[in-house]
Amino acid sequence: MTTNDSHPMTTGTIRVQRMPRWFTGRSELFVVAGVLILATWMLIGTVTMEVPDGAAFPGPQFFPTLVCVFLYAVGIALAIEVLRTPQRQHVGDDPVEISDEMLRDLGSIDATSEIRVVSPEDYAATPTDAAGSAASGSDHKTVLITIAGFAGFIVVLPFVGWLISAAALFWVIAWAFGSKRPLMDIAIAVIISSVVQLAFGAGLGLSLPAGFLGGIL
Amino acid sequence: MDQLGHLMEGFAVAFTPQNLLFLVIGAVLGTAVGVLPGLGSAMAVALLLPVTFSLDPTGAFIMFASIYFGGLFGDSTSGILLNTPGNSSAIATTFEGHRMAKDGRAAKALGTSAIGAFIGGTIACILVVFFAPAIVQLATIFGPAEYFALAVFAFVAISAVVADSIVRGLVSLGLGFALALVGIDGMTGTERFTAGSPVLFDGISIIVITVGLLALGEVLHVGSYIRRSGGPGAVVAPKGSPMLNAREWRQALPAFLRGTAFGVPFGAIPVGGSEVPTFLAYGTEKRLAKRRNDPDFGTRGAIQGVAGPEAAGNATAGSAMGALLGLGIPTSATAAMMIAAFQQYGMQPGPLLFERSGDLVWPLLASLFLGLIILLIINLPFAAVWAKLLLIPRHYLYAGISVVAMLGIYAIASRTVDLWMALGIGVVGLIMRRFALPLAPVLIAAILGPLAETQLRRALAVSEGDPTILVSSPITVVLYLLLAVVVGVSVLQHTRHTVKRRKTDKADALVR
Repeated sequence: MTTNDSHPMTTGTIRVQRMPRWFTGRSELFVVAGVLILATWMLIGTVTMEVPDGAAFPGPQFFPTLVCVFLYAVGIALAIEVLRTPQRQHVGDDPVEISDEMLRDLGSIDATSEIRVVSPEDYAATPTDAAGSAASGSDHKTVLITIAGFAGFIVVLPFVGWLISAAALFWVIAWAFGSKRPLMDIAIAVIISSVVQLAFGAGLGLSLPAGFLGGIL
Repeated sequence: MDQLGHLMEGFAVAFTPQNLLFLVIGAVLGTAVGVLPGLGSAMAVALLLPVTFSLDPTGAFIMFASIYFGGLFGDSTSGILLNTPGNSSAIATTFEGHRMAKDGRAAKALGTSAIGAFIGGTIACILVVFFAPAIVQLATIFGPAEYFALAVFAFVAISAVVADSIVRGLVSLGLGFALALVGIDGMTGTERFTAGSPVLFDGISIIVITVGLLALGEVLHVGSYIRRSGGPGAVVAPKGSPMLNAREWRQALPAFLRGTAFGVPFGAIPVGGSEVPTFLAYGTEKRLAKRRNDPDFGTRGAIQGVAGPEAAGNATAGSAMGALLGLGIPTSATAAMMIAAFQQYGMQPGPLLFERSGDLVWPLLASLFLGLIILLIINLPFAAVWAKLLLIPRHYLYAGISVVAMLGIYAIASRTVDLWMALGIGVVGLIMRRFALPLAPVLIAAILGPLAETQLRRALAVSEGDPTILVSSPITVVLYLLLAVVVGVSVLQHTRHTVKRRKTDKADALVR
């Protein structure tokens, strides 16, 4: 762990990295845009809602209106926060549910006496820190392959059936996540998807699509 | 002592072979997801929820509850052996636990953590059984305004108080409300945000939301760094006996009890689960060690530093079950998933649950005790076996999660449109993880949001639109005042840290 000693102590819940470029630190403005678009979409939906006659005061539009106002307010507040403190780019592995600072206060954690708890992200961050922050961002290629794998699975599922499409999904994700043995993965993938079909299809009675295999088997 | 009679009847139901089987399955699954870093019991319940539709509800809930407890038993294993906590609930244990492991006392640390989890969980469950009638009494004085106040408390506490940034927590909360609003309004039959599509008339299934956010979002997020990671570090092999000797018991027992005392109250209030009490317990043990000049704490690893946080963690799970069943308030992401499970079976947790579904609640409470015993048996002697799970290659793990997630979503209604929605929500989950937006507020808002809306509209309908009804009773006033105090403290705390960070930034700039 000697290579990590220069890092600030973290609890593993939160990674806040300081990003050098203006845009990287402020890419969260996309999130702000998303929140404002969602709020606007809800505003339109609320205004154009076809309310049946005779609905009493706290009608179906009441709560959506509150949520709309709330979303606009937090969207603007987030924009202000992002512009004021742009360094809060998060590259951690854990969902950030709890304030890191609060936990440090509660546990009277100080940077010297606690051993540094590592998370999978640290293994990623350690080598790239030396190479600069450019490489410590997201691995877009793997993410896109994974999304494409899911999308492909959803498209082919009704046609080729559960056995083949689930095995293919397993194989694609194992491969995208760095498996070195693609041939053995085929066997593992087929076994997994068959076991799932047997356990949940035959055992618990879920109806899984058989696809064209249904005609043959 | 009416509740003891109920509990005994509950034990009779829990002891049937079928329910015992679900209990053991849940305990094994829970420990497994606890041991594996990155998987949580909330995700496990989300994945299992759709595939357990065909089960009898009692068996399903017994299984979910033992997954919840099992996750808290297993999470310390990888923290102690690998210095990588299985879940954030085990971070506080890891500090001293990994030190003990490096000192050659890994088995002892694992044993302490299993015993601590057992003691904390058992004491909390006893308290829940003891206080259950008092909680049920609340049913008679809780009206729509009180329920709405309770829901507001849960929303604000989970998003504003504990999140890293208040604004980010609230953004997540708003997103959860928006997701929950889609569908036909139950009170008037109005279509809301369905874009005229019949697919959305029933709303977005809570399973689509939770599996999308927790499972698909996690798979995508792991994908964003796994190829750049160097793989897990070296696992410390646990050697020796996990059992504590008399001297170690004398050291650990007070820490177990102190940890439990922190955990029980925090389980009942919605502050995100076991992180806060485990850190409080750790901080207390640290201060006490300093006071008695303990040379081990912070060097070789002290047994108290493992015992306190572990007992605190499982004690929260016990009282969280109480708050969940008695008040219908989810205090953590896993508890929110349990509420979603109740709703799937057409039940609403809350004071009425004990009256309406006593035949489910008491066996469930009884099975918590049995589950803790089973978990102690499968964790105390076999911790080294569980540690073998850490050797599963992570690409197979996440490929497997993907397949099970797709299976679960397809099982809701056998239609692919649910899969597309879940994939979209999974991408949202990835973006949220990237930008430090917490996930628990989304779950809580999506699950409790419809309930809060109904209670708000009922309250306002009774008062004919007069909003003062919301603060008309002492309970509501107390709840809102308490909330104001909590938010005030949290804002102060955030401000203090921001000021400190600004100062260090300035100092850094001067040095350069």
